[in-house]
Amino acid sequence: MGKTKKNKKSNKKSSPDAVAMKVKASFKGADNPFESIWSRRKFDVLGQKRKGDSRRIGLARSLAIDKREKTLLKEYEQSTKSSVFEDKRIGEGDEALDEFGKAILRTQRERQMNMRISKKSKYHLSDGEDDFDEPSALGLGRDDFEDEMLPDDDVDEGYETKRKSALGVPMEISVAEGEVNKRKSHAEVMKEIIAKSKFFKAEKAKDKEEKEELMEELDKKFTSLSQSQALVSLTKPNNSVQEKPDEYDMDVIQMGLEIRARPSNRIKTPEEIAQEEREHLEKMEEERQKRMLASEDSSDEEDEDSEKPSKQNPRCLSGDDLGDSFSLNEETMAKKGWIDEILERKDEEDSDSEESGGEYSDDLGSSEGADEGSDEDLDDHEKDLSLKDWEQSDDDNIGIDLEEEDDEEEGKERTSEKVDGKNVVDAGTKRGTDSLHAKKIDDGGKQSKELEIPYIIEAPKNIEELYSLLDNRSTSDTILVINRIRKSNPIALAGENRKKMQVFYGVLLQYFAVLANKKPLNVGLLNMLGKPLIEMSMEIPYFAAICARRRIESIRKQFVESIKNPESSSWPSTKTLFLLRLWSTIFPCSDFRHPVMTPVILLMCEYLMRCPIVSGRDIAIGSFLCSMLLSVFRQSRKFCPEAIMFLEAALIPAAESNISHADSQAYQLMELKALKPVLCIRDTVNEIGPLNFFQIMDMPEDSSIYSSDNFRASLLVAVVETLQGYIEVYEGLSSFPEIFAPILRILFEIEEQKNMPNALRDKIKDVTELIKANIDKHHSLRRPLQMRKQKPVPIKLLNPKFEENYVKGRDYDPDRERAEMRKLKRQLKREAKGAARELRKDNYFLLEVKDKERSLLEKERTEKYGRAKAFLQEQEHAFKSGQLGKGRKRRR
Amino acid sequence: MTRAYGVKGRKRKPAEPKYDRDEDQQFNQEEEQPQPKRQAQEQQEQPTENNEELAGIPIAPSELNTDKPNVIFILERASLEVAKVGKTYQLLNSDEHGHFLRKNNKNPGDYRPDITHQALLSILDSPLNKAGRLRAVYIKTEKGVLIEVKPHVRIPRTFKRFAGVMLELLQKLSISAAGKREKLLRTIKNPVTQYLPLNCRKIGLSYSSDKLVTMSDYVSTVPNNTDLVFVVGAMAHGKIETDYTEDYIAISGYPLSAAYCIARICNAIEDKWKIL
Repeated sequence: MGKTKKNKKSNKKSSPDAVAMKVKASFKGADNPFESIWSRRKFDVLGQKRKGDSRRIGLARSLAIDKREKTLLKEYEQSTKSSVFEDKRIGEGDEALDEFGKAILRTQRERQMNMRISKKSKYHLSDGEDDFDEPSALGLGRDDFEDEMLPDDDVDEGYETKRKSALGVPMEISVAEGEVNKRKSHAEVMKEIIAKSKFFKAEKAKDKEEKEELMEELDKKFTSLSQSQALVSLTKPNNSVQEKPDEYDMDVIQMGLEIRARPSNRIKTPEEIAQEEREHLEKMEEERQKRMLASEDSSDEEDEDSEKPSKQNPRCLSGDDLGDSFSLNEETMAKKGWIDEILERKDEEDSDSEESGGEYSDDLGSSEGADEGSDEDLDDHEKDLSLKDWEQSDDDNIGIDLEEEDDEEEGKERTSEKVDGKNVVDAGTKRGTDSLHAKKIDDGGKQSKELEIPYIIEAPKNIEELYSLLDNRSTSDTILVINRIRKSNPIALAGENRKKMQVFYGVLLQYFAVLANKKPLNVGLLNMLGKPLIEMSMEIPYFAAICARRRIESIRKQFVESIKNPESSSWPSTKTLFLLRLWSTIFPCSDFRHPVMTPVILLMCEYLMRCPIVSGRDIAIGSFLCSMLLSVFRQSRKFCPEAIMFLEAALIPAAESNISHADSQAYQLMELKALKPVLCIRDTVNEIGPLNFFQIMDMPEDSSIYSSDNFRASLLVAVVETLQGYIEVYEGLSSFPEIFAPILRILFEIEEQKNMPNALRDKIKDVTELIKANIDKHHSLRRPLQMRKQKPVPIKLLNPKFEENYVKGRDYDPDRERAEMRKLKRQLKREAKGAARELRKDNYFLLEVKDKERSLLEKERTEKYGRAKAFLQEQEHAFKSGQLGKGRKRRR
Repeated sequence: MTRAYGVKGRKRKPAEPKYDRDEDQQFNQEEEQPQPKRQAQEQQEQPTENNEELAGIPIAPSELNTDKPNVIFILERASLEVAKVGKTYQLLNSDEHGHFLRKNNKNPGDYRPDITHQALLSILDSPLNKAGRLRAVYIKTEKGVLIEVKPHVRIPRTFKRFAGVMLELLQKLSISAAGKREKLLRTIKNPVTQYLPLNCRKIGLSYSSDKLVTMSDYVSTVPNNTDLVFVVGAMAHGKIETDYTEDYIAISGYPLSAAYCIARICNAIEDKWKIL
């Protein structure tokens, strides 16, 4: 069975096409429509040529049967036989040949066979005489080689062959010899080449020799020439010419020598700058000391190292120096003059400060403000003006302050500090000579240097030391001293300097506070102090913040205490105001949350909210606070309801009728007695000057100026201007109309008053218009409240999956292996199906054959049977009819 | 028509006509089902949105249709034909295959798949579709092939890619979604009427019609609960001849392109159904 299968398969592979072709060719003429089967196309695809549209099913069937008859049938027939007759005659397998062709083939083959046999016999007979094909005889070859060995051949070659023979490689030699033997021309060519190369070599050697000879000759000639005088005479003038300097050469040399751009010194680090400054100061100090000691040798209180040599110096000099006596004189003079001078200066200063206060108030300090230059804000304008301490009765307060401050700085020498504090108080109030004396006792050495400022100053440890340093100095000198202290103890240089500076910072702040509380206010000095304080707090921000927080706490405590007492005014003192202002310049205002600025703002707002407005002065202080808050909030644009409320409350007393504002929130701020129109302008005011804040602060509480119309007008101007600032800052707030609408009403009322000066009226008009415009703008921008719209959700879209260049039937599986596997499986299935089909058909065919055989057999058997039966019947008939036994046959 | 890679499951039964009906029903069910889900999602999302926007302002109730009428578009006589040009199969198109078509005695002017492309885009990009009111689009080609286009398919924007999709569709007979088994485009059995809902109004559009109407007025006359079927021709020349349309209208005095005609229809319906 296996055999048949194989056979069939192999047949199938090769045959169908060929057979079909043949059959087609033969059947072309008779295209029987009944034999063909075709499929109808549903969609006609343009440009598509389809094969196998119609198939001749009958033809295919008959072909298949034919094929089976040739293969399967034969095998079947063979299957019962034990042996096979195979015809292996030449040409018998080829069907294309006829008998004659077969015969020709056979004769051809016969002749060939004969030829081969004859060749072999020939070879055997001749035995290598004329046979070149086989390498037969070794000995013969060697002989040949020896013969052909040329006497004039290369030595190398000869050597090599000898060596080879010595090594005993007869095969190789024989081969080589064979080659030489075979191609004589090649050997000749080789020889020629060798000869040629030899010739060239010889030529080259000859040339070389000649050249060498020439060189030698030349050398000889040259040596003889150089020894002779002629060469020297030839070369010398040349040298002289060369020595003469060329202009170009000169230039080159000059350029080489010229100074090139040099690298500048590197930029110095802050530490180095600080160091340099300090060194410079030290040098100056040394010089000063020298000068001092030259003049006053009697002062031995100095405890510096440089003292002794400097002391000795003038003595050495005194022997021959002219200025000796002069210096002595001077020294005595100076020594005497100092105390006197100090005393004089003291008086002068006092009077000066008072005078200056008056002056400032006169010329309104506008020029002063320009001089200072460091502050630009609105309120600074006010601050610049001199003012006197209005808190006269608070001596105790100061004492407490100082104590607290001392606690902050260092709590070691409390008792002594207390004494110091009292001294300070004394100094603050009396400014007499007693304090001076005390200081003299403290450290007279330093006193002696008061006129001349030392260049190197140790940072003062407490306020006393600072006082001793700064007493009786002019403003500029004070600043100079502070700057020198800072420069001589730079933080960048030494670690301990930081601590020193921290202590000094505390002291300086204390000094600032005390100065701000002084009765005749030295505004210039306060302004000047601001700069070093700001710079120092940059250097030690953490400590500065701690100081500020402590102070804020104490201020707040004080404020809480004072508000309990309804009799006394709880509005902040000048000192507090100055400190608040200082902090708002030192620390960033626009931070969302700041350890110092947030409490400062809260404190200011608390002042505004909780302090009752009793008099015009209260409004003045409040408006100052408001403007300060404005400067703080200008950048961050935070909303400060307290300030707005206060401004509103400040405007209410300016109006004539209070009844309409009874419902206002600001109402609660005002005490009932203050509700009488404090700010109402009764008479005509001829001119409105800017408010002198410091002056106001100086006035006693029941001063007549508060009831003057001039004051009221200028205060109103200040309030309105601050309000304008707030309006500008809060423009963007969406609740603007609600915030400013009540103020607008009050402003309208104030504007309508008949005694209103024109300038003020214009100002108020401007502000009202500004508010109105902003309110209108905000109202127009507002949208009615409506339901929130849900955005409709669109349906989710899906992308179709498709190939860029789709080809039908290709597997677009990204996994190649899987695709391959699937393809193979498909193929396998197809093949399996085909095989099954073929097997089935084979079976049918065999069955048919067997059937046919059986039927044939049956037929035969029945025939036989019939015949036999007929015979028997006939016999029986004959027997029955009586023909059997008697009749002619027997007779025959 | 092979199954998606690596997914095993119950094989679909080969009963084709039944399958179609099942699919339609399923589709309807699907349309109904997602809506509660969507609502649930919205409710979940609401708190986060409230945080972003103004708190305390109530959200307007979202209108999600459950039993609202839908629209069906039928593009008649679309010229989507695949031919073997050279060695590859391509979607015939007058620009690229003019020579080939002339060689085969065809009029290149008739082969305009871009009209179908534009029309499909204008249908599927309309807010009408985004609002989920489009039920399906059917395309009947000049050759008689009927294609169903699901409303949530994102048709390629470029013509070349569209041609690629159509080519694959006409050879493979269906296009599935990327990353999903759901079929977005597939060829279905004729006639188209078996897929149309029962209570619907079938409106044919043609320039040649005598009944010239203003679309918005015409749409307003249609009862609110009936589905609408618009039959629009997607061919370059000629007019649609369908036996199933009840009405035959012209919506402009000028011959309109299919895309613009569809845009006009969509606008009118959006106005009527208040889809913004």
